[in-house]
Amino acid sequence: MPEYNPERTYLNMEEAILEAFILAKDSSTIQLPEGHYLFSQELSINGKKHLTIKGMGMDKTVLSFKGQTKGAQGLLVSNSQNITLANMTIEDATGDNLKITDCDTVVLRNIRSAWTGKASTENGAYGIYPVLSNNVLIENCVAIGASDAGIYVGQSDQVIIRNNKAFYNVAGIESENSKDVEIYNNEVYENTSGLLIFNLPKLTRYGSKIKAYKNTIYNNNTPNFGVKGSIVSSVPKGTGVVIMATQDVAFYDNTIKNHKTSNLSVVSYEIFAADEDAREEELTDEAQLQGIRSVDSDFRKDSLYNPYPGRIQISQNQFENSYGFPTLTNEYGILMLLKNKRIIPDVVYDGILPKGAKLQDDQHKICLEDNGEINFVYMDAANEFENFSNDLEPFNCKLKMNMTRQ
Amino acid sequence: MTKGLTTHLFKILFCLGALAFSLGCSSDSKKQIPKAIKVSSKKRISNSKLSEKEWLSEYNFFKKPLSDLQPKKGVFAYDLNNALFTDYAFKKRFIFLPDGKKMTYQNEGVLDFEIGSILIKNFYYPKDFNKPMDEIKIIETRLLIKEVDGWKPLNYVWNESQSDAKLNYVGGEVPVSWKNENQVHKSISYGIPNLNECKNCHFKGSEITPIGPTVAQLNKKYSAIKSAQNQLERFQNLGILDLPDSHPSLPKLPIWDDPKTGSIKLRANAYLDANCAHCHREQGSAKNSGLYLTYNETNMRRRGVFKPPVAAGKGSGNLEYSIVPGNPEESILIYRMKNNDPAIRMPEIGRVSAHKEGIALIEQYIRSLADH
Repeated sequence: MPEYNPERTYLNMEEAILEAFILAKDSSTIQLPEGHYLFSQELSINGKKHLTIKGMGMDKTVLSFKGQTKGAQGLLVSNSQNITLANMTIEDATGDNLKITDCDTVVLRNIRSAWTGKASTENGAYGIYPVLSNNVLIENCVAIGASDAGIYVGQSDQVIIRNNKAFYNVAGIESENSKDVEIYNNEVYENTSGLLIFNLPKLTRYGSKIKAYKNTIYNNNTPNFGVKGSIVSSVPKGTGVVIMATQDVAFYDNTIKNHKTSNLSVVSYEIFAADEDAREEELTDEAQLQGIRSVDSDFRKDSLYNPYPGRIQISQNQFENSYGFPTLTNEYGILMLLKNKRIIPDVVYDGILPKGAKLQDDQHKICLEDNGEINFVYMDAANEFENFSNDLEPFNCKLKMNMTRQ
Repeated sequence: MTKGLTTHLFKILFCLGALAFSLGCSSDSKKQIPKAIKVSSKKRISNSKLSEKEWLSEYNFFKKPLSDLQPKKGVFAYDLNNALFTDYAFKKRFIFLPDGKKMTYQNEGVLDFEIGSILIKNFYYPKDFNKPMDEIKIIETRLLIKEVDGWKPLNYVWNESQSDAKLNYVGGEVPVSWKNENQVHKSISYGIPNLNECKNCHFKGSEITPIGPTVAQLNKKYSAIKSAQNQLERFQNLGILDLPDSHPSLPKLPIWDDPKTGSIKLRANAYLDANCAHCHREQGSAKNSGLYLTYNETNMRRRGVFKPPVAAGKGSGNLEYSIVPGNPEESILIYRMKNNDPAIRMPEIGRVSAHKEGIALIEQYIRSLADH
């Protein structure tokens, strides 16, 4: 497993920094000094407006929660508006390193979120984790070692994720049940899976209108170290990008290369629901309380949820692969060995549709255009791979995208 | 997909991989706390401006020496029928009322206080519990201050020389030791709550409120006052509280450890009210648990009888119900009262040791429930 071992000399200024957090007033700034500070407990902010918390730089100000005994998060910001966090490293929290929940207008800039040592299931779940929040900017951040997702935006609207790096996580960057999201200029490598654009059932809101462009996503072949029962634990290693059950996705000008399972997959929720390893009952109560998602086999009862991807435009991306043989650690790789002449596909589409629907239906369309010479696989997973095909022609189309911001 | 031919093969490969992985990656290093050198900040970390009094003496509550806790004019001592257990700490409580201000009677819930009123609660340990007046060590003085926009909690921590107490927001740990009534030596690391933890217990809905001074809790004789007069009557005589005309039948809680004051059931209910119901009530922070322990709650399921846990996590101790009548060992309530692990214990803040005598009462109560 990959390792991240920065040199640390821990200092203890817990009381003074905790006091600054407890007493933070609206329209104030918490300026954290240079040094590697160790904390025994979570630092939290609740119900504040116009607050800035900043360090002296991600290499200079380190907040470490290694061995923490109180609270699960490193930094937790809740029910607040106009919050800026910048210029620091947050490390080794028991749960999530940086969680932002129920907030509006949040800037996260120049923040490194990391778990030190070997990538391990013992690491916390989410590195940088805005959830149930609107108007979120995450830029120039680095996420390392999360046992779920490094940069994870969940159930949020109006989000920009740009110029970040994510490595040694199970999922590098994940956009889940979020709307109007732009993901660009990110470098994502050596995770189990690079970029996940997911939509899951039975949550407070559903995602759509995602633009992902100019990202570099490569070598995401790290063995999966997700918590048993979590949905990411069922994502096969060697998957560059997975677009699941999301509608209105523009994926263009990206470079995706060197993945052992597939560079890009477009799939329905059904293919995850069929995986028996990611079940809610497998998750511990603590994991569920932390917000780790599992597969919900009851998803059909959620009438507001659309489990099928649709209106997906994949254009002008650069796909490459230096691997010549699919990994046999997962069923997709084995399938490619048996059905795809041992070629690792650049783009896979499971082809599962609702009953009576057709591939050509507007709301289900998957369009690929100008992606160069690629290996494309239409799995026809709903019919025991009966019409498994490499023919790109039925998918060569251009959609008129329905985005809020053009 | 799982219906595919390859599934079986996949499972075998996956399991092998998972086994190798779990052997290779399990490590205890995450649990260890690294060493850290204590430093202080040269510059101010926050530009939030503070306006609180830095020392307890600035309030002028007590005559000198401060540590005698002898109230000045306008500061009134009081006591409760049932106190929250706080690691066997002794408590001295006072009410400060601004000149000429009164409290207002409430049949249920805490009395009404006017702006400027302050509730004062001192936590201390006598060296020998059999000589409670000699050689005491005061740890902290918690204040609840009634301001225009609600109650504000503040905490003052006493210095080693006991000359004064300093404003503290962040809490901390203090080593404390004493000899109990049976002359057994005890020592603990007493936990002083931080400001957020104060709020955790004192939140009702979205407001901070006092918990203790209800009529049912105050309706008793205060032993430290020579006349041994009823507290409520005393407040009336002092002109700081008007009682309704029907006051012989004022609400009154039984005293949990005094069998003369009520049945086991009623005393158990009173104990649970004082120790649990500030969170386990409608609008309390534990309302999501579905366990309601206010004195007047009569629904036995809501009181925990055969009630499965909701979000207890490992706090359930793999037990099925909060209370199994006749069987305290199978009851989550007792499991959590006995446990000192911060993730399991109840109450979750305010104690690091278990309350043996309180647990004995609740065990007796749970056993008695099988008789019906």
